[in-house]
Amino acid sequence: MSNWLDRGLGFAVPLLIALLVSALVLLAIGENPLDTFSLMLTEGFGSPRRLASTLSAATPLLFTAVGTAICFRAGVFNVGVDGAFLIGGLAAVVAGFSLPAELGWSLVPICLAVGALFGAAWLFIPGWLLARLEVDEVVSTLMLNFIAVAITGYLVNGPFLSRQSGNNVTPPVHEAAELSRLMPPGTLHSGFLLALAVLVAYAFWTRRTPAGLEGAWVGLNRRFSRVVGVSVQRTIILAMVLSGIVGGLGGAAHGLGQLHRFTDGFSAGYGFTGMAVALLAHNSPLGMLIGAILFGALASAGTTIQLFSDIPLDLVNIIQGIVMIFAVIELGRIGIRRRVKA
Amino acid sequence: MIEQILASGVVLTTPILLAAIGGLVNRQAGIVNIALEGKMLVGAFVAIVISAATGSWLVATLAAALVSMVIGYGFSLTITRLGANMITAGLGLNVLAAGAIGFLMSYAYGSSGTLRLPDVALLPHVFPQSVESVPVVGQLLAHLDPLTILAVLAIAVLPFLLGATRFGLWIRATGNAAPVMLAVGLKPKLLQEASTAFAGFFAGLAGAQLALASIGIFNEGLTAGRGFIALAAFYFGRDRPWQTAAACLLFGLLDAAQIRMQTVGLPPRLIGALPYLMVLVALVVSQMRSLRRTQ
Repeated sequence: MSNWLDRGLGFAVPLLIALLVSALVLLAIGENPLDTFSLMLTEGFGSPRRLASTLSAATPLLFTAVGTAICFRAGVFNVGVDGAFLIGGLAAVVAGFSLPAELGWSLVPICLAVGALFGAAWLFIPGWLLARLEVDEVVSTLMLNFIAVAITGYLVNGPFLSRQSGNNVTPPVHEAAELSRLMPPGTLHSGFLLALAVLVAYAFWTRRTPAGLEGAWVGLNRRFSRVVGVSVQRTIILAMVLSGIVGGLGGAAHGLGQLHRFTDGFSAGYGFTGMAVALLAHNSPLGMLIGAILFGALASAGTTIQLFSDIPLDLVNIIQGIVMIFAVIELGRIGIRRRVKA
Repeated sequence: MIEQILASGVVLTTPILLAAIGGLVNRQAGIVNIALEGKMLVGAFVAIVISAATGSWLVATLAAALVSMVIGYGFSLTITRLGANMITAGLGLNVLAAGAIGFLMSYAYGSSGTLRLPDVALLPHVFPQSVESVPVVGQLLAHLDPLTILAVLAIAVLPFLLGATRFGLWIRATGNAAPVMLAVGLKPKLLQEASTAFAGFFAGLAGAQLALASIGIFNEGLTAGRGFIALAAFYFGRDRPWQTAAACLLFGLLDAAQIRMQTVGLPPRLIGALPYLMVLVALVVSQMRSLRRTQ
């Protein structure tokens, strides 16, 4: 029971701090915070159409959150899911417009597999470097993110540039390679269902498979794991590769389902928002589902609120930043300090 | 042509170098500062606003440094006192800084992305224009601003400060063995906070240089990842002042040469990734060496 309470608090406290700060910001500019928050709620969840656009915005976050959580629970501080998302997304889109359209229905699984493969290969690099050479994974994955932005930015402006539509975009994928829209004309696409499947697979992997258990052991105590015969090196590489698969799939789903092509600025910081979600949820599947939907709602409601009021969309970034800063603070410490003072 | 690359290379090196100075001291105290980027952006924004309001580059630069310093100090408290993770908190601070500035810009100035203010006082040039006639380094000297000189001075005294003063040794001891610091009755957390405030101060200077060196216009993309290049530089230089400065100069010259390399047909986007790639390679090489030594 207390475990559940702890987790709930760990989830709620950073969010509450973020809401409090944004309420102060809103007060400072002369807006009523309660009005704004309730407007956000209605804009995020108020009708089936709005709910659909929230879920659509939550889709890439679900992928990146799961990708991040796979590594975090194994104690691997991978901040490079954004890079895998980009590389996987570009690879899937390129497959989607360059493979013959005659492949028909089989295009979708092929393109998704290509995205997953490239994502896996991308994060295999820092995984291998960490496992074999103990190269600090925070720095290597951070650097790889920038390298991924550079490579995809170069390719989308060079070899894969669309001749018809000018700058920074690839040609669109074949119609057969597009993921189906679930509620046209909204953008919610079957990639959301794939994201849910990935989330369920993650839950199963963590709770019901030996590899998932070993991952958690390695995250909790590397020396213990080594002593009981778990290969720490293999577990680290596996976590990175799985993370890359999920990140690459996320990019593929975003490219095939949402944009139907690859553009500069393909990932609007999804890797980092996903990290915030995974941190907030302490890697729990249910928590990540709720967190991704909340951040999805924030993003989709933020856009409409900017249209109808003077509140800038950047409020969403303020909230996200605060959540990331306070997501992993140790609540116990605050409690102890109070007790000492009292 | 070499004159021009040298001159613009030094101008482009300064902000990276200033930020890297803060970052390396911070890391010597055991904190990897991922939030340099966000603090640079804040520094640049404050510098433009204050410079336009007061007409003084000095007041603007100091204000930028102080604001970033306060932010750095507050940020370090979440790490040292609340146990936040320094990596995620740092990434979060970058997001928060960008969000807060974007919010302020569209609310207070009604602009999205770019802020042009009248009467922004730029950094002065140290030497009179006539030094331009000096061969090779003439252009470099003519464009030299006070913050570049400050950065070079800081690099020159840092080895002494870190290696031979009490405070410097405390900083390094904190990074290497915080429990020992506690055992001898010193406060490692306080030193970490001080070093993060120092990093904030220098990141603020870096932002001010970026904003006031030549253009005098603020843009949300002004820092363009330079905080992370600074991070790359002090990783590459293994937190040592001279090596870090050399890495910064290399990255600055690369940045300056990038525009010219385009004409030879090298894609600029790929050249932009070189610093990051170099850090990756340097990390791999140094790990291979140290592993071989232990075997």
